[in-house]
Amino acid sequence: MATSAQHMARTPDVGERLNKSQGILSDLYLPQFIPAVLLIMYGAVVIWSASLTNPNAVFSRHILGIVLGFIAAAVVWRFDVRRLANMSVALLVFDALLLISPRIPGLSWSAMGMTGWIRIPFIRLTAQPSEIAKLVTIFFIAGISSQYNGKVENLRDYVRLCAMLLIPFVLIMVQPDLGTGLIILVTGAIIIICAGPKPSWVLVTIAMIVVGSALIIIESQIEGIPHILKTYQLNRLIVFVDPSVDPSGNGYNLMQAKIAVGSGGLIGKGLGNATQAASGFLPESHTDFVFALLAEEFGFVGSVVLLGLFAWMIISTVLLAMRIEAPFSKLVLVGCAAMWSFQVLENVGMCIGIMPITGIPLPFISFGSSSMIAQIMAVGMVQSVWCHRQKAG
Amino acid sequence: MDFSLVIVIGALVVAAILIVAYIHFGRSESSFSLDIGGAAPTASGGSDTSSEKTFAGRLKGLFIYVCGIFGVLLARLWSMQLVSSEEYSRQAELNRTRTIRSAAPRGRILDRNGVEIVTNRPSLTVVAGPDVVYDTVEVQLLSNLCGMPYMATRRKIRDESEGAQSKRTVSVDVSRRVVAFIAAHPEVFPDVDVEQRSERFYPFGSLAAHVVGYTGTVTAEQLESNTEETGGITYHSGDIVGQAGVEYQYESVLQGIAGEQTVYVDSGGTVLDYVAKIDAQSGSDLVLTIDAKVQEAAERSLVNVTNYIRAKQGFPASSGCAVAIDCSSGEIICMASFPTYSPSVFVGGISNSDWDTLTNEKNNYPLFNRAISGQYPAGSTIKALSSLAALEYGLATDKTTWNCTGWWTGFGEDYGMYCYLKTGHGMIGLQRGITMSCDVVYYEIGKGFYYSDEPEGLQKTYRKFGLGSYTGIDLPSEECGRVPDAEWKWNYFTDAPDDSRRWQGGDTCNIAIGQGDMLVTCLQMVCAYCGIANDGVVMKPHVLRSVRAATGEGSVIDYKPEPIFECPEPKKSLDLVKAGLKGVVYEESWSQTVHWNSLDKTVIGKTGTGQMAGEYPIGWFVGIVPAENPRYVVGANIDEVLEGAQSGMYVVRDIMGAIYDQPDPLFSYNVENADTTDENFVW
Repeated sequence: MATSAQHMARTPDVGERLNKSQGILSDLYLPQFIPAVLLIMYGAVVIWSASLTNPNAVFSRHILGIVLGFIAAAVVWRFDVRRLANMSVALLVFDALLLISPRIPGLSWSAMGMTGWIRIPFIRLTAQPSEIAKLVTIFFIAGISSQYNGKVENLRDYVRLCAMLLIPFVLIMVQPDLGTGLIILVTGAIIIICAGPKPSWVLVTIAMIVVGSALIIIESQIEGIPHILKTYQLNRLIVFVDPSVDPSGNGYNLMQAKIAVGSGGLIGKGLGNATQAASGFLPESHTDFVFALLAEEFGFVGSVVLLGLFAWMIISTVLLAMRIEAPFSKLVLVGCAAMWSFQVLENVGMCIGIMPITGIPLPFISFGSSSMIAQIMAVGMVQSVWCHRQKAG
Repeated sequence: MDFSLVIVIGALVVAAILIVAYIHFGRSESSFSLDIGGAAPTASGGSDTSSEKTFAGRLKGLFIYVCGIFGVLLARLWSMQLVSSEEYSRQAELNRTRTIRSAAPRGRILDRNGVEIVTNRPSLTVVAGPDVVYDTVEVQLLSNLCGMPYMATRRKIRDESEGAQSKRTVSVDVSRRVVAFIAAHPEVFPDVDVEQRSERFYPFGSLAAHVVGYTGTVTAEQLESNTEETGGITYHSGDIVGQAGVEYQYESVLQGIAGEQTVYVDSGGTVLDYVAKIDAQSGSDLVLTIDAKVQEAAERSLVNVTNYIRAKQGFPASSGCAVAIDCSSGEIICMASFPTYSPSVFVGGISNSDWDTLTNEKNNYPLFNRAISGQYPAGSTIKALSSLAALEYGLATDKTTWNCTGWWTGFGEDYGMYCYLKTGHGMIGLQRGITMSCDVVYYEIGKGFYYSDEPEGLQKTYRKFGLGSYTGIDLPSEECGRVPDAEWKWNYFTDAPDDSRRWQGGDTCNIAIGQGDMLVTCLQMVCAYCGIANDGVVMKPHVLRSVRAATGEGSVIDYKPEPIFECPEPKKSLDLVKAGLKGVVYEESWSQTVHWNSLDKTVIGKTGTGQMAGEYPIGWFVGIVPAENPRYVVGANIDEVLEGAQSGMYVVRDIMGAIYDQPDPLFSYNVENADTTDENFVW
């Protein structure tokens, strides 16, 4: 089955390139590629300004991450992602290995209380495998969902899809990494929803998740019983509603982030003049709270440009998904769009006090090579779908 | 945020979205058609169009979801960055700016001739930046240099009470040697400086302590009071403010304006940059009406006289006070209270044991300014006013005579009262009654008032001369004394039977001789005698003469003398009273007169011995000099003595002697250590 699929896919592709020889540009889906490149450039400017005052933001490492990301993306781009459609078991195993790798002795690496890092032996390179695992999860869920061709008619199939999604989710949550866990859950859930289950099932599932979360939160506040969520995790979840639960920690961070965003005003304080970030009031100004730094430097105009570029890129991806025929490719695109949109919602929303504080990066902008490589690889995934589409006549 | 600008930006954003959408759709329509690639579906119905519809519907839902996310984020950013940005900008500024205050030197306090009573003393202070605490070697060197334990030095550098960014005081009043060593080794002492600060200094020790008062750290109530109450000064924790006397009364003039240095800091509190700086502006100098020479004489006299009384008369002479006033302007020439204290103990914060000493009953409350806050029975000094009342209400004339047998039974034998001279004065008129201080004369006057149409005419006259009301002197905590009348007595003794609460004839007689429930302050008595001296005009007593300009020459405020009350009396009555008062000084007793013959000015005055049940009497003297053209009124009292003539009068004589530079050669009593800084008398 897989062989025939590859065969079907390749032949017209090669033929088209030979026939029309439109060059490399025709293989690029520009409405998605251009905003992605602009976002990466925008991010580089922001990280460069952060590097002026923040010794943790090393600009050369940021550029290295971008370069590595483009190399990885180019590989993904030339690779026909449809080949992964029927490799769900292999994907699941690979996904699970990535997610448990930070717990494998010899690989695990931790510093300053961070979890979820590995250090690759011999080359001493540290990485966050969960970033790559997000992409693998997209392939995995898209793979198992696409077999129903847009209509999941059997409740058992739907439950099985949900159970499959729970595997990577649970593995990431035990790390514990609430932020990445939420991304995986939301991304996978949107892929499953787009795969065509009955709306009533989806609504019941969402209701169950809401009730279950509420129960967990309530349980974690009752004295005298073992808590599912630790106090700091609970505080992170509710601090954006009530900053006074953690005035010195997350409440302070949130307050400083909001001050940074708000004080940016219409046009911002200018590149390198962000007083909140430069004077150290804004924590993690180059990673988790990078949006606050950007909003402080470039103001409302800069924020709108950023969100506009994201919107352009994500909506282009969704529109491409509407046009692509193959269910697997469709769902991979849906997964990418869902991942980006949720990360933007979560990261920006956290800085402006409408989402819980979780340690997730802003795609293409935040400092951190693992995230950068994974996000550019996701761009490669979209481009690969475009590149290997079946063209008419 | 300009609303039209917002509209323009919104329009641009919409336009950009439309253009992107147009290009996008335009490109995609023409560049490709829908493919049918990808893996073949494993489920049935690969060509079922219903599944296509499902995908399309779900993807539309995803599209709406994505748009919703960006809509929510944009709306929130709009509200934060455009609507509320000013509030956030304010908070961002608050975050990064700190103000370092530097205290302004307080104004000096000078006497009327420009002699410094209170001034400032430079104090060389070693200060260190907050980060020095992390340099163990430097802290160790500092502690060796300043002669303090290592831990004490460390604690001082950690003390944030002067502000987190301010330099921390390590050691005050360091020697020149320490200063030189630090200056010579800047590489050993990074971030350590020697600052010249100023502290209150009292060149004459306790001189005029009760007038100038003392300073202390600002209290919680003062911090909370609004700027209207403090005269436009906003206080900060740790500020030094006046707490008593002139320091308190003229705080807003003396305080000056603290310097402010605005700095930018980072989140750790490290100073990144210096912004605006306002230099400290020192407070204005006050010129008092006090004459340091006379003040010094008055204080020394109180010490000498009380010593003399203890040694020679065997009375406790526990406390006393004296006031001299220029009756033409109301200027206080001297104001002394005994026992006294040294205001310098308050500099840099008073210790608990010092505070206990100063507030202990055994030490007779040295902080208490008896001249304005001590309320005593006036004794016979009141008789001058009683005489004026009798003349005013027609109860006596210059011809009226009474017979003093020493025992007076004007209200019947059961209510008989003695004259202080139990052998009696014989037939006696009003003028002679003042001179000899004959009680019977005033019993008769009191009885006259009791049965007259104006039974409280006596009190009216006392009140007319300012008794029972505040003089309004420019010093805090003045008391107003008490002029008792029928209403007061009824309301005051609420627990007593009605008969005892009712006003009796004997009560009027008692207040006519200055005893009973009548209470006055020394300042009130002096002011009342100013009324006699000035033929009825009493100027408001004050200690402020002028406020010198903070910069340049001259004064910014000159005190304008003003009358507080007028109590016109017929010249004939005043002349009679003055003649009686002159008799007190020159006729009543040789032992009194002998002290005044050495003064080439004519003095008139009255002794008094105020009595309270079960206590030693209080000895008064109030004098006016010169008699012909009165200029100064001087009053003094000493508590727990035999009588006024042998206590308060000596003090008044010494003060007048200092004014005219003619000391009393007869009163030469000096204890061996009659230095006013002797710790036996100066607490």
